Amino acid sequence: MANIEHEFALLLSKKLGGKILQTGTLQPDKVFVRVDAKAHKDAIAVLLEADENAGLSALTGVDLGKTLELMYHIRTHGTIVTVRTEVPKEDANVKSITDIIPGANFHEREVADLFGVNFEGHPNPKRLVLSDDWPKNLFPLRKDAEIVIPNRVENGKADEQRLDGDKLVNIIIGPQHPALIEPEKFSLKVDGEIVKEVEPRIGYVHRGIEKAAEKRTYLQDIYLVERICGICNACHATCFCQAVEAILGITVPPRAKYLRTLILELNRIHSHMLLLGHAGFEVGYETLLHYMWRDRETVMDIVERLTGNRVIASFVTVGGVRRDLPSEAIPEIKAQLASLKEKMSFYKHLFESDPTLKMRTKNVGVLSKQDALKLCVVGPVARGSGVKMDVRKDEPYAAYSEVPFNIAIYSEGDSWARLMVHLDEVSESINIINYVLDNLPSGSYRIRVPRIVPAGEAISRVEAPRGELFYYVKSNGTAYPERVKVRTPTFANILSFVHIAEGGNIADVPASFVSLDPCFSCTDR
Amino acid sequence: MSLNLEFVFSVLVFPGFIFILLFTMFCDWVERKIEARMQNRIGPTYTGPAGILQPLADFLKLLTKEDIVPFDARNIVFRFAPILSFSIFVFTFLFLPIDGTNAILNLNFEGDLILVLTLVSIANFFLFLSGWSSTNPYSAIGATRVLTQLLGYDIPLFLLALAPAFLAKNLSIATIASSQNVPFSILIPWAFALFIIALQAELEKDPFDVPHAETEIVGGYETEYTGRRLAFLKLAKDVQIVLGAALVVELFLGGPYGPVFFGLPTFWYALWFVLKLLAVIVISEYLTCVFARLRIDQVLVASWKVLLPLSILSLVATVAVGLWLIPMWG
Repeated sequence: MANIEHEFALLLSKKLGGKILQTGTLQPDKVFVRVDAKAHKDAIAVLLEADENAGLSALTGVDLGKTLELMYHIRTHGTIVTVRTEVPKEDANVKSITDIIPGANFHEREVADLFGVNFEGHPNPKRLVLSDDWPKNLFPLRKDAEIVIPNRVENGKADEQRLDGDKLVNIIIGPQHPALIEPEKFSLKVDGEIVKEVEPRIGYVHRGIEKAAEKRTYLQDIYLVERICGICNACHATCFCQAVEAILGITVPPRAKYLRTLILELNRIHSHMLLLGHAGFEVGYETLLHYMWRDRETVMDIVERLTGNRVIASFVTVGGVRRDLPSEAIPEIKAQLASLKEKMSFYKHLFESDPTLKMRTKNVGVLSKQDALKLCVVGPVARGSGVKMDVRKDEPYAAYSEVPFNIAIYSEGDSWARLMVHLDEVSESINIINYVLDNLPSGSYRIRVPRIVPAGEAISRVEAPRGELFYYVKSNGTAYPERVKVRTPTFANILSFVHIAEGGNIADVPASFVSLDPCFSCTDR
Repeated sequence: MSLNLEFVFSVLVFPGFIFILLFTMFCDWVERKIEARMQNRIGPTYTGPAGILQPLADFLKLLTKEDIVPFDARNIVFRFAPILSFSIFVFTFLFLPIDGTNAILNLNFEGDLILVLTLVSIANFFLFLSGWSSTNPYSAIGATRVLTQLLGYDIPLFLLALAPAFLAKNLSIATIASSQNVPFSILIPWAFALFIIALQAELEKDPFDVPHAETEIVGGYETEYTGRRLAFLKLAKDVQIVLGAALVVELFLGGPYGPVFFGLPTFWYALWFVLKLLAVIVISEYLTCVFARLRIDQVLVASWKVLLPLSILSLVATVAVGLWLIPMWG
């Protein structure tokens, strides 16, 4: 089973020799190596050298009391290899890895914000998720942090948005702006109509969900993590439950696996159609928005039929799912999906043939395959740039190992390619759902699990509509988790926006931005 | 011409100021209804029967709102540009024959077509000034886009407006309208089609609505406007749309003239004018609904590389039709 992983462990110990303190597994197929605080960069470099497609999946910080543990989860050959290192709390300094993985930029800034780790050599060590007037030495995810409503501190002057003496005009998109449905801020420096510089800032809807999860039981946490993102709520619940199930060492019944696949794919259709309609709005094609969002209602109706709720499904739970699908609902759902599939083929024809739509999206916001790998993007953004990456294939979870499906890949890397990936995936999702409905195993749909989870840790990945969703859960043997780390797909993708917007037209900013399918309530958590 | 009661009535009530104002609001409602139906929505329904009073309600609501002038924009241009733009559009309207004559009692003269087109450009320029004086980056970019677009599309528009004038051998709008036994849209359909496209750009509607692309530059040139001034800025835009459609009616669809069945010709002429104008609005809304917004550089390419050569060609073709074909038919 875990051959590839152990090969990595062997490779690492051969190259690094004595620098490795410990080699072990998080869960059976997830290997980790523990290295000295000065050697983590060498270990990551070895992994990068061994696989040109390797990238940073997530950077987890854990407070161990006297020390802070940093876990670099490296995605390589479809699996995750974790490099862990410890730094003393009082003197938390490590070398930044942004020079070997530029995509680590935001990951490091987040850990710096929440744990107070100083990354030496980081190109832009500013606040990312915490507000600018948050007290300087209060790091919320440290266990000893006393979170009271802090006194507001004076901060610097806000960015000014005005015509400067020089040629550059500073335009600020957000936190409130018609192009954005969620609050975040992009400061653009423009020269005429050309964007010269982009500075993103997130954290406007940071709710501290990772901290809140430590204060609630595992059962309560399912409902909490679902609320990270309304659209892909079942993905968050599934990902969290998979991690807890891995610690518990249980496997869910086959019927539950199929039902999970069903709700995950419904989430994907919902999310993708929402995005495609929104993309129409961003390029001034409002008719498309209204048509897409009308047809999206079909999916909402099916989700309601399946789970009882239209949006937040509360369907997936530890040990299976919470409701069964009555057999008389299957033909109804199939009929609804058949009409949706017909409409989707019309939309695909539209995206392929409409001249104005193509003028606005073709060759706009190009992200080359090389840059996509460098910036560690995930999901449809990576697939639009020709990177073959899909957790459903790489590391099948739920019923994906039994369901036949294709991965949509386009090599152009522009906004059009990314939107086409979304369009193709909707059709593919409809096929998956049809297969699941036809081959639904009988039997129980959930097993009862204990409330107390034994000590242990696990990582879990799910291909959410926007890309790879990453969870790390650490248990300390009680009913409350020690640490829940969530790395959402948009958090991995948002850095690429800076790359594709610079040098482009102002008018292309919304068009290329929307094709990344950003979700900021996810990103901020 | 003495200042008598009839004159005051025709300027202020019909077919003058009040008619133009109410008709503009009616057209706004028609536009919103058509666009909504095309997009699978229902559009305004609440105010008045089928929501027909919605544009009036929106206008009155804006009038009651607080009027904020940004500190940096305290200049005379910011204050007066919306009003000037609005009044120039309405003034221009008075030159168009609506019920057979125009509001200023047949004050049409040889060359009023050129005057009307010039006034439209000037009013557009005031829209640019309103954005430019707001000292807001969104407004500034929106305003430069208005001006860039104006430069690109005014020349084709002028050239295309010359085609009917050439066929009618006259530069007076009333004469052009009355000389169309067969509407020019049938005689020279190419000029008609191009004129509609150029007008779409002039009126800043999709696919050419870059000056107020809300997902890029928020409100464009009207970002800083509130209350009364915003109400007039919006009204000016609406009057401009009706004025543009009216120009199409006068130049290509035979103006207000049509069959008179009984009673007063004035009534029938006004009715024909309104019906033709609504037809133009339907065409324009259809174009708005089926296209995405272009980028400003794509708009400029479309105007200088496609529309300008085409409109010159269309003028040549029109001259050919006027000189050889029509005489042949007798």
